Amino acid sequence: MTGTDFLALSPIIALAVGASVLLLQIAFLRNLKLTTGITVVTFLACLFFLFYITKLNHQTTPLLLVDPLSTFFSIVFVLCACITTFISYEYLKNRPGRNDEFFLLVVLATMGSIVLTYATHLASFILGLELMGIALYGLIAYPHQDDMSLEAAIKYLVLSGASSAALLFGFALLYAITGSLFFPDLLSGLASPEVAVGPQSPFWARQLILLGSALILAGISFKLSLAPFHMWTPDVYEGSPAPITGFLATISKGAVFAATLRLYVIGEFHNFPTIVTGLTILSIISILVGNLLALRQENIKRLLAYSSIAHFGYLLIALIAAGTLTPNGISAIEPSAYYLAGYIFTTLIATGLIAAISSSNNEENANLSDIAGLFWKNPLLALCLSVSLLSLAGIPLTAGFIGKLYIFQMGVEAGAWLLLSILIIGSGIGIYYYLRLIFSMTTDPSSSRSTLAPALPVTVSLITLTILVLYLGIYPQPLMEYLLWNT
Amino acid sequence: MELLNLLIILFIGGAAAWVGEHFSKGLSRWISLLFIAVAAVSLLEMLSNIPAPTFLKDPITKDPTTWLIHGRADWIPRFGISFELALDGLSLLLVVLTLFLGAVSVIASWDEIDKHQGFFQANIMWTLTGVIGVFIALDLILFFLFWEVMLVPMYLLIAIWGHEDKAKAAMKFFIFTQVSGLLMLLAMITLAIFVKDANGYWSFSYFDLLDNNLTSSLATFIMLGFFIGFTVKLPGFPFHTWLPDAHTQAPTAGSVILAGILLKTGAYGLIRFTVPLFPEASIAFAPIAILLGASGVVYGAILAFGQTDFKRLVAYSSVSHMGFVLLGVFAWNALAIQGAVMQLVAHGLSTAALFMIAGALQHRLHTRDLQKMGGLWQSMPRMGALAMFFIAASLGLPGMGNFIAEFLVLAGLFQVYPWLAVVSSAGLITGAIYSLKLIQESFQGAPDDTLTPPDFSALAMSAMIAMLIGLIVLGIFPQLVLDISQPVINALTSEITL
Amino acid sequence: MNPLIIPLSHVLMLAALLFTAGLLGLLIRRNVIFILMSLEVMLNAAALAFVGASAHWGQTDGQIILLLILTIAAAEVAVGLGLVLQIQRRFKTLDLDVVSRMRG
Repeated sequence: MTGTDFLALSPIIALAVGASVLLLQIAFLRNLKLTTGITVVTFLACLFFLFYITKLNHQTTPLLLVDPLSTFFSIVFVLCACITTFISYEYLKNRPGRNDEFFLLVVLATMGSIVLTYATHLASFILGLELMGIALYGLIAYPHQDDMSLEAAIKYLVLSGASSAALLFGFALLYAITGSLFFPDLLSGLASPEVAVGPQSPFWARQLILLGSALILAGISFKLSLAPFHMWTPDVYEGSPAPITGFLATISKGAVFAATLRLYVIGEFHNFPTIVTGLTILSIISILVGNLLALRQENIKRLLAYSSIAHFGYLLIALIAAGTLTPNGISAIEPSAYYLAGYIFTTLIATGLIAAISSSNNEENANLSDIAGLFWKNPLLALCLSVSLLSLAGIPLTAGFIGKLYIFQMGVEAGAWLLLSILIIGSGIGIYYYLRLIFSMTTDPSSSRSTLAPALPVTVSLITLTILVLYLGIYPQPLMEYLLWNT
Repeated sequence: MELLNLLIILFIGGAAAWVGEHFSKGLSRWISLLFIAVAAVSLLEMLSNIPAPTFLKDPITKDPTTWLIHGRADWIPRFGISFELALDGLSLLLVVLTLFLGAVSVIASWDEIDKHQGFFQANIMWTLTGVIGVFIALDLILFFLFWEVMLVPMYLLIAIWGHEDKAKAAMKFFIFTQVSGLLMLLAMITLAIFVKDANGYWSFSYFDLLDNNLTSSLATFIMLGFFIGFTVKLPGFPFHTWLPDAHTQAPTAGSVILAGILLKTGAYGLIRFTVPLFPEASIAFAPIAILLGASGVVYGAILAFGQTDFKRLVAYSSVSHMGFVLLGVFAWNALAIQGAVMQLVAHGLSTAALFMIAGALQHRLHTRDLQKMGGLWQSMPRMGALAMFFIAASLGLPGMGNFIAEFLVLAGLFQVYPWLAVVSSAGLITGAIYSLKLIQESFQGAPDDTLTPPDFSALAMSAMIAMLIGLIVLGIFPQLVLDISQPVINALTSEITL
Repeated sequence: MNPLIIPLSHVLMLAALLFTAGLLGLLIRRNVIFILMSLEVMLNAAALAFVGASAHWGQTDGQIILLLILTIAAAEVAVGLGLVLQIQRRFKTLDLDVVSRMRG
């Protein structure tokens, strides 16, 4: 381990130290304010190191590759985790029970997401994935007095465990072919199985590769909740405490997608027509199913769950199109990274707002009626949520529009007309339910009871996110250049 | 980039109106009027800096320096998207119309809107910002941005302050425009990518994209994307179904803006983008477009006759009148396009006035049902006389702007498609029938003594009189308007011949 | 260089069988405890495949992954059993169909 190695790992080390300090603090002194403070300091330290290493491109042991792209994703995740902490504090401070460990789990899950983003080796990949996953089981089930959250946790545990098993089994098959667990070696052998020393004849090697890739694809689809592997998503989102719904929809999915992107590019999976076809089908079904099922939802968390299914369907278009554009699929990185960052900030506004509403009376208030009259009760927050919804719908001046512009551009250049028409149909349906939310914010406030005045940190967080979404939509050039420079 | 000031003034005006509500009830209306006036003054100031002969000289469409005003700044160089604003005679006319009808709509909402006045005015101002942006943006993505962004405040206007069925109407309006807008975006990006492959650099600028050498089949598809996007907004038959609902359910000011200005963005897009960008494809498509236009004229008129709802009737009459615009654009000769441009202005004024009357009636009688009206002239002579005037204008009585417009369109169309011109002129006759039905059932007939609503207020009268004068001037001295748009139309028709 | 007495294909086939058995159990069983056991079987099937492949290549990497998987499985089940306790306490049953109120 050299000095550069330590520098590259410093964000992860910061989180690990923070987690240890939190453990000790909780053991000796339970104080929610102090715990929150330590968590925020941990995240800020982590952010500091991340900003320090933005230009670093360094393979730290075979396990982790610290490159600018992953660092960018990590910054997004840690920023969101920090905001989640503010929101969670408001959410938890008046709730019964011992709530200190919540923040410990948030730190651990965030650490998992960063490890996952940096992973270039199966061991670190699995470690990151499971660190995040297991911490999330705990977070989802945290309000264990609540039947719904227990149900959500056990569903998530079973399906997430099963998808991990599928992922692992798929990787085991690939490992049997190529004999390496280091992703570049593991995956580079796949393109030419005749060369790789397989266990059997090249024919069987090919079949094993396809089976393995299919299992990996299925496992990842579960984690990204692509249709038809999406069934768990609405239930888990609805049952989780609102800040964790946000975590699941943003950081957890984002980290899995970041890892997928890396696998896709390194493994040159676009060279396998079967996999591209599989992705195309997943994308089409996700867009249609996500948008259609979102139409009838009365619960905003469920609605966001379905909308996230659709959005990851859109995101897949960038991956599918990338293969036909450049020989190494690298052109997928810029659009999908931009789209993902925009989507994460946007979604966090919506879930954060639900958490803020739910904080005011210690219940889970995520129904359409709970935001009725928001425009007149708290115009600022209503504006934030409107920006978020318009961004999800892809209206200009928001990050969502630039993301959609990217997807359109990729799709047109690759000539993916079928996917583009599905995208247009999906967006058309999508507008209906996003507007329905905006409409219910404008209805008469008398139908809903309490006034809404969240604490300052929450308001500031939500406004910051809104400004970020608008900034990414109005002045996208700097981030575009940064991402372009990375690839 | 002085044109940017126009947008900034209106946008800030909206925000100020929203904030102003907290200081004094009713203040926001004055703030809106004030900022519209400031925008008008700043426009005049810009124009006064341009030497007079420039207005009369034919510009070269591809050369922005020959336009009245042009400014460009980089915005997203990654995709060659720039912040490009420009003004020529055509945009100038429409910008002036927008500011004028904007002020009218503020007056129309004066007594009608009680709830959340500040936010209402803010939405009006932001819609105006978006519409003016559409008229002056010459970068395709920037144009699309304004095109979409103006939907949001308009949606809110209908959804919050609309009538009984507002949620559905607002949703329908938004989804129709948005989905067709996405098709247009797809077409824009496809066009830009093909030009990029030819030129080697990204650009969404109108002036760069005019020189595209697309293959004919591709051009047809891209042209269709633009055509659908604009025709939905126009609205052309068969994409008009959102319009009656949106117009009927919107508050008066919303209807005025919708009918008076928003529909014009579709027509503007057809003249500015669809035909000049894809001349060959447009030639091939012209017969179909003209057929759609003629169907719109007749179909709109027939449906208008069947309505019993005051606003719905006027809304369907808009479908009929805007059919003439489609005819004028795709006949593509100087005469017909002049007619179409004239129709934009004249229809804007006459329909805005009719919607104001409809709104005033609804505000006083709490109904739009014609069968529950009748004999209103008795109690509201001023309103009755005005209604008579604007209905006469709308049906195309000679001496008023609408007559000149429709006459020019038909005369131009006759040179190209004589038979369709004959069919379309039936629209003039049917127009007379439904218009007269409207005035008969509302203001004429036996007076109902139980109905004694108050007449127009002085402020509303001043707005109505202004529109009245406008229409008469258009009818008697049409050259005033024609002179402003003539150079642009000359340039377009001489560079592109269908 | 093949140090395996049993051919790799046999190991992979056994692993696939175990994996399928686990998956079927996961889908068919309604009792949470059995579902967790099926999950274990699936994870261990993957671990077995890794060990087999690792022996085939004469590397230790795959065996280290086995250790990782064991740890992960233990952690998953630890949390899972915690949830099982809570579920038993709240619902007085371990039938997942009874627990399931939300419908995706």
